[in-house]
Amino acid sequence: MSEYTITRRDFLKGTTAAALALTLGVPLNISGEQKNKTKVVLIRNPDVLNRKGKINEPIVRKMLDDAVSTLLNKNDPVEAWKTIVKPDDIVGVKSNVWTHLPTPLEIEDAIRMRLMNVGVVEKKISFDDRGVLGNRVFRQATVLINVRPLRTHHWSGIGGCIKNYVMFAPNPADYHSDSCADLGALWNLPIVKDKTRLNILVMLTPQFHNIGPHHFSKEFTWQYKGILVGTDPVALDAVGLRILEAKRRDYFGEETPLKPPAKHIALADTKHKIGTSKLKEIEIVKLGWKEELYIE
Amino acid sequence: MIFTIFMLIIFYITSETETSIIASFLPKESQGWKMSGKPRTYPDTSIYDYMNGAGEIYLAYDFKNLVVQRYVKKNSPEIIVEVFDMGVPEFAYGVFSHTQGGGNNTNIGQGSEYSAGLLYFWKERYFVCVRAEYETKESKNAVLTLGESIATKIKAEGEKPHLLNFLPYEALVENSIRYFFRHEILNYHYFVADKNILLLNNSTRAILARYKNNRDYLLLVQYPTETDACSARDNFVKIYMPEASDSGIVQMENGKWTAVSALKNYVIIIFDAVQRDYAQKKIESLTRNILQ
Repeated sequence: MSEYTITRRDFLKGTTAAALALTLGVPLNISGEQKNKTKVVLIRNPDVLNRKGKINEPIVRKMLDDAVSTLLNKNDPVEAWKTIVKPDDIVGVKSNVWTHLPTPLEIEDAIRMRLMNVGVVEKKISFDDRGVLGNRVFRQATVLINVRPLRTHHWSGIGGCIKNYVMFAPNPADYHSDSCADLGALWNLPIVKDKTRLNILVMLTPQFHNIGPHHFSKEFTWQYKGILVGTDPVALDAVGLRILEAKRRDYFGEETPLKPPAKHIALADTKHKIGTSKLKEIEIVKLGWKEELYIE
Repeated sequence: MIFTIFMLIIFYITSETETSIIASFLPKESQGWKMSGKPRTYPDTSIYDYMNGAGEIYLAYDFKNLVVQRYVKKNSPEIIVEVFDMGVPEFAYGVFSHTQGGGNNTNIGQGSEYSAGLLYFWKERYFVCVRAEYETKESKNAVLTLGESIATKIKAEGEKPHLLNFLPYEALVENSIRYFFRHEILNYHYFVADKNILLLNNSTRAILARYKNNRDYLLLVQYPTETDACSARDNFVKIYMPEASDSGIVQMENGKWTAVSALKNYVIIIFDAVQRDYAQKKIESLTRNILQ
């Protein structure tokens, strides 16, 4: 563990990851040179949800295809998936079953279809959340796909790509300390290290606020109608966080930083080195609908 | 060995008694919502089984026991009542203070708020949450009625922490007051440092509060001894504001001022003051309050 103490002043000085600075209400300049940036793709479609929130399956499937193809620089989605998954791979798809905002089945189905298009046999594909440690496919997995909806979280600030791997820990409570500051360490566990080929942060109806530990109200979600994909879970969380903060500013009419600050994102970068949280080092490719994007 | 068995039996009987006391607060029905099943209990770290990482909040306030009861009504959202036994009134108040600021006061218990289907309040050593799966006009009435009923059955009231008496009340944002003793809770509301540079522990008590107009923060920490307070002050200055080791006041990178002072067994810190004079006057005001 580093002996250096990160203080609030480090974020004010800009000497460490910008993601946490966001949550302290520090204004940021996210522009920067295009060279060597981590790429994430944000795709949105105004028709992916109807007014009641029902998902249009063909549209969400196309969104995922377009996003993954763009991310992996292929014209065809199956060819894109073939660059990250081989027919003989054993694939664990780490999903999320949180009652109020689970990973939509339509997105799971879209992932399953593309994995099978690549040639992975169905019995070597498994979707799971809380049972991953007892799941044989996950224990033997050669590839992991990480997928979940973005939401605020009472103890970690947000529940995003990084936090989604907490169920791989034999004792998740070990990662609770200091508002889950060290969630990034999960990604170095042997069962997951270097296996994740794709992260999908579902932003169809993100939750931007909660009161208390397990409070949920639809009042604090909105139809963003987006999906974020990338190979870097930290970058996805940093972008997702930025969008949530902007939505909160819009909704509350003033700067309303998350509580607690989602500092695990910055520390996943600076301390655990599993990705980049600095927005000026992230290339955000934006596809589709641009209204109320909440990100530059 | 016999003594150990004896103590375990006493502990079990005590736990069961305390759970029974809490269960006696719970009405059988409210506005057509009826109890469903028996109350479930989650003492100590078994709270993780119920609410995963969120349980850390309550453990950070030395939580003792949680009793959960479901209420159901046909074609209506489920209502869940959670009664947290925090052991002592100051920690029930502490948990409430940690949560407050998200809703409207309902005058239930000794402090309460309601928003979007969730009611929370504290009374004596208990912190209570009553939440509807989703909010309707009927479920809101049922939630508030349930809460009022539970509060009424908790006969005694608890004292608020005495540290509150030192706060300058002019321009104070009252629902911004946070009472705690762990640095994780401080960082939750105002990130200071990733390590515990103010040396907070089970023997310290702290208040963080925000003020209107200038939106500055005041942090007041009580330590067991004057030596402890001086050590904490020195450690804070060394890590957070080493350039101000003599003056105890420095302008931050965002143009705002931070000031620190140790007095008797207290440390006072002003964060985000817009002017140097303002920070110094705030420290002086709190100093006078402590010395009175």
